[in-house]
Amino acid sequence: MKSIIISWLVILLLATVSFSQQLSGEDIIQKVNELFNPQTSYGKAMMTIVTTSGSNRTFVYESWSKDKGEKNLVRYLEPSRVKDQATLMLNHADDIWMYFPRTQRVRKLATHAKKQKMQGSDFSYEDMGGGDVFITDFSPKRLEDEKMEDHDCYKLELTRKPNVDISYSRLIMWIIKENFVPIVIDYYDEDDPDLSEKRLVQSDIRTIDNIPTAMKVVMYNKNDNTQTEIELLEVKYNIPLDDEMFTERGLKK
Amino acid sequence: MRETILKKLAHWHAAHPWRVLLMVIIATVILGGLASRLSITMQTSDLLPEGDSKVIQFNKIIDEFATATNLTVVVQGHEERIKEFADELAPHILELRDNSQNESNKEEIDNLQERIEKLRSNGDDELEITELESEINALQSRIDRKLFQHVDYKAEIGFLKNHMLMLVKEDDLKNIKDVFMDPNLSGLLTNYNNSMEKEYVGQEESISTREKEDGAWAFLDGIQNLVFSVQSVVRRENIPEEEIQRAADKLLFGEPYMLSYDKKALVMIAIPNFTIMDRDLLNIAAVSVQELVDEQLKKYPDITAGISGSIAREHDEETYSKEAIGSSTLIALIVILILLMLSFRMWVSPFLALLTLIVGVVWALGASWIAVGQLNMVTSMMSVIILGLGIDFAIHLISGFTERRAAGESILDALENTYLKSGKGIITGAATTACAFLSLIISQARGMRELGIVIGIGLISILLATMFFLPVMLVLRERIVDRKREAKIGKKRFVQRDISFQFLGRVGETLSKRYVFTIIASCIVTIVLVWSALKITYDHNYMNLEPEGLTSIALMDTVLEKFDLNIEYGLILADNVEESREFSKQCRELSSVALTDDISLYLPSPEEQNKRIPHIQDVRRKIQSTPVKRTVSPAELNTINNEIDRLEMNIMEMQDMAFLGGQDKVDNKCKEIVGDPDNPDSGNIIRDLRELIESDVLKAQKGLSEFQQNFGRYFKDAVIKMSSIEQIELEELPITILDRYSNRSRNRFIVTVYPAGNLWEHKELLDRFVDDMDRVTEKATGSPSLTVALVRIFARDGRNAILLTLFIVFLLLWLDFRNPRHALMAMIPLACGVFWMVGAMRLFNMQFNMMSLMGLPLIIGIGIDDGVHVIHRWLNEGTGKIRTVFSSTGKAIFLTSLTTMFAFGSLGFSIFRGWASFGISLAIGVGTCFLTTVIILPGIIGIIERKKI
Repeated sequence: MKSIIISWLVILLLATVSFSQQLSGEDIIQKVNELFNPQTSYGKAMMTIVTTSGSNRTFVYESWSKDKGEKNLVRYLEPSRVKDQATLMLNHADDIWMYFPRTQRVRKLATHAKKQKMQGSDFSYEDMGGGDVFITDFSPKRLEDEKMEDHDCYKLELTRKPNVDISYSRLIMWIIKENFVPIVIDYYDEDDPDLSEKRLVQSDIRTIDNIPTAMKVVMYNKNDNTQTEIELLEVKYNIPLDDEMFTERGLKK
Repeated sequence: MRETILKKLAHWHAAHPWRVLLMVIIATVILGGLASRLSITMQTSDLLPEGDSKVIQFNKIIDEFATATNLTVVVQGHEERIKEFADELAPHILELRDNSQNESNKEEIDNLQERIEKLRSNGDDELEITELESEINALQSRIDRKLFQHVDYKAEIGFLKNHMLMLVKEDDLKNIKDVFMDPNLSGLLTNYNNSMEKEYVGQEESISTREKEDGAWAFLDGIQNLVFSVQSVVRRENIPEEEIQRAADKLLFGEPYMLSYDKKALVMIAIPNFTIMDRDLLNIAAVSVQELVDEQLKKYPDITAGISGSIAREHDEETYSKEAIGSSTLIALIVILILLMLSFRMWVSPFLALLTLIVGVVWALGASWIAVGQLNMVTSMMSVIILGLGIDFAIHLISGFTERRAAGESILDALENTYLKSGKGIITGAATTACAFLSLIISQARGMRELGIVIGIGLISILLATMFFLPVMLVLRERIVDRKREAKIGKKRFVQRDISFQFLGRVGETLSKRYVFTIIASCIVTIVLVWSALKITYDHNYMNLEPEGLTSIALMDTVLEKFDLNIEYGLILADNVEESREFSKQCRELSSVALTDDISLYLPSPEEQNKRIPHIQDVRRKIQSTPVKRTVSPAELNTINNEIDRLEMNIMEMQDMAFLGGQDKVDNKCKEIVGDPDNPDSGNIIRDLRELIESDVLKAQKGLSEFQQNFGRYFKDAVIKMSSIEQIELEELPITILDRYSNRSRNRFIVTVYPAGNLWEHKELLDRFVDDMDRVTEKATGSPSLTVALVRIFARDGRNAILLTLFIVFLLLWLDFRNPRHALMAMIPLACGVFWMVGAMRLFNMQFNMMSLMGLPLIIGIGIDDGVHVIHRWLNEGTGKIRTVFSSTGKAIFLTSLTTMFAFGSLGFSIFRGWASFGISLAIGVGTCFLTTVIILPGIIGIIERKKI
């Protein structure tokens, strides 16, 4: 009996190994993309940035996304100075609007702002915009598997496709085999593929609404030697969201 | 051979002490004179190999660019007062002259003229006469030479007034050109609002970089100033026309004075007529400007001012380093004197030992001037190092001589025996250590090579002083003592006192008997400390080596904080304007670069200028066709009111975006204009203006009409003038701009590259910045490049020096002991001592830095002595005499280690933190080498004696 169990375990293990070996770079990135882009989502998060005079500033905000990350709305809750200030990103952050409660006006930001830092953080609007960029803008190549942050990971290299307007020449991604969460992503300079510019590290992974979710995300900026930490306080997936939310009128609400 | 020489020397000293003393005095006077010529340079470039390409480029910049050397006056106080102070001080600085060399220059001119006359009367070669005449001209130009060529503290807006729009980038011009098209208040405000919505609210990137943030700040500052002026006219206050014009200038060209963001500090940069290499002029200039500032401060008790910049920093560092060397040396001398007096239980001999050391140090400094010319950041502390090492020679000589005299030997016999018994050891010890240091001559880095030469020469100087001066002093003293004794006491025999350290003997004996325990315990301690040593980190922050508490250094921090100016930057020397423009462009594209500063800011390429022309012509056409209205109509007042409301909203939005984006400078400026949202009591000058207008509309209308006439006319004329489409040529640039960016011959141009962050706090950024600049051009230099090169070269040279020192030490010991096993035995405590040293440093929370890292090769040369003395004595005494070995030799090495530790430890009091860490780490090293010698060696000897290995 014991030997049968062991045989089954060995078969199961081999099957898992052969399954993981069969997955191509395209398969893996497809799964990551699905994980990154639920149909709709809601989150409440806390973000800490470093100001130009070197002090830390913490914001609490709510965010909603729809159509697999194509539409995003961020509304600030704290500190009181920015309460109700909101940013709307459409077309994967190609179009960005901002609402200022103090003046009750909405302003459209220039489209090329998506490559700029978002609100002084080490994330760009592009990093936060979501969408299928991993698939549409990059070609994946599976590298040798590695252990990263104590997880068995797939390692992928994503190289920018020709004539694509994106800020990074390539990405190196370590993806947890168990749940396809990219635990670490290295971003390389737009012009120099050997120059690592930023590193994203995700941790505290919890399963929420059947979706593995990193509750803590840190972006390390190697150029400025700064880091931005986002801690998710609350997350919901696949909730009903009205299109009206993602309009100028919705931005003001 | 060696014995014969030593015997002759002993006889000569005993027979002719006064003659020898006279020779010593003459040598001291001559070498002292040479020593007084030694200067100290604290520049990083002086530590690197002379042939290093980065050093060559850096030195070219120093030589050719007036602005590479400067003196900065930092003035702090109320805005108007600091401007007044600067306006008054600048002409006085320009009047400063150097007349210190006038007499000698005049004498030299007279001599040359005499020679010329002789040559003429002899009808000699005209060529020689011409050469002499040019020499005379050069000397004449140095008589009452002006110290400074100009003082930058106020922008020259004359040039901007003619070419401002040609200097604005095409993209920016497209965005902002509207603001120059209407001189009337309503049109101006409308245009400003349109521009703000487009530029600052419309594009997040506009305030996301340092350059743009500064632009936004200056823009807001101009608006703030305009609002203040408009407030005054609405109140119907009498504003002079010049003030209205100043407000227009600020709006168009920004603040002319070099003020900090909070407007409470101002910098004045004085550009000298000499380079940083002219040490005498540098010191004269620093002292003279400091005196001027101090004198003027008496009239301005409400403000503070001090000097900084490369001139003040070099002056302060040289002055304070000399003081620090003096105080460290004095502390070391006093502590050593007390220690020797306590140990030898007498005061005259220790005093003579110190006198010998002082003579030796003077000789060493004089010899160093001959060998290297000037001391650098590293060699400047040589006196303390050789003091710590050289005292050992005197201790051994005095011990031997006093013991023999106490044993009743005559002066001659005592001296001869001391020379024969101790002298040989002293010479061997000094030669070993001096050779170890002199081996550093193979180093590529000038700093390390000169350290080896200076310490090597220093040790030989102290050895010579010990062999020639100390014995003479001892002989003379003994003669006096003998005479007194004969007169007073008669021939009374001395009782020899046992002044050996018995406890060290007992400890050595116990550790030797229990050698298994000793070896195991030593191994455990060594493993723990090796583990600790492996965890020690390296402090890359070069600023942590800088002195603490110097005004010039503290003011650099003020400049850094208040002006947000990075004091560390890269430099590139370009061969022409096009190359400068290209380097600047390539550097700006690097992610490790925040901004660049080069001549292209004032001299765009002809193509760039051509692209700007149509936009400038638009502005010119529009402003020329728009008349300045004589009055502000009620309808226009209504528009003005609406635009004021819109302006308030735009600035509030800009403020909110700046807050979210962490752009503190812009946020703070907005607070000054529209108030702090977190503080309801904070003022809002735009709302105040709105309320002022509403409180008395007619009065406001009248005031605004008058203002519009003055302001509008001036604004219109200024815009027409600055919208010139004439191409800017290099020769047209004002001299201050040319001097800032080009050399005196105007054929080389400098590009200054500012990094994206604090390089010293982020090693990765430092390496990346330097590598990035190297990728742009191999001509890249500047202090970040030099420091990285220095660390790399020092690490390589240090490793080579350690290996070479170990090899030389081993070779010399093998020759000395005539047995390689004994040579290795002497080196075991050294090897363990070095690991214990690093491990202990880590336990004391210390880090390695560039200075303390240099201590490693030194400690090999120094720490070996303890083991050598113990092995020598053990071999002389024979088996079973371990107690005697450690009681007597143990005491000697205890004393020499302690004196060396005190000497190095005295550097710990230095304000130069680099020296302090160097001294403390070496003191720890000497201590650990002593401990390993008295703990590990008894164990090893125990094994050898018992196992008969």
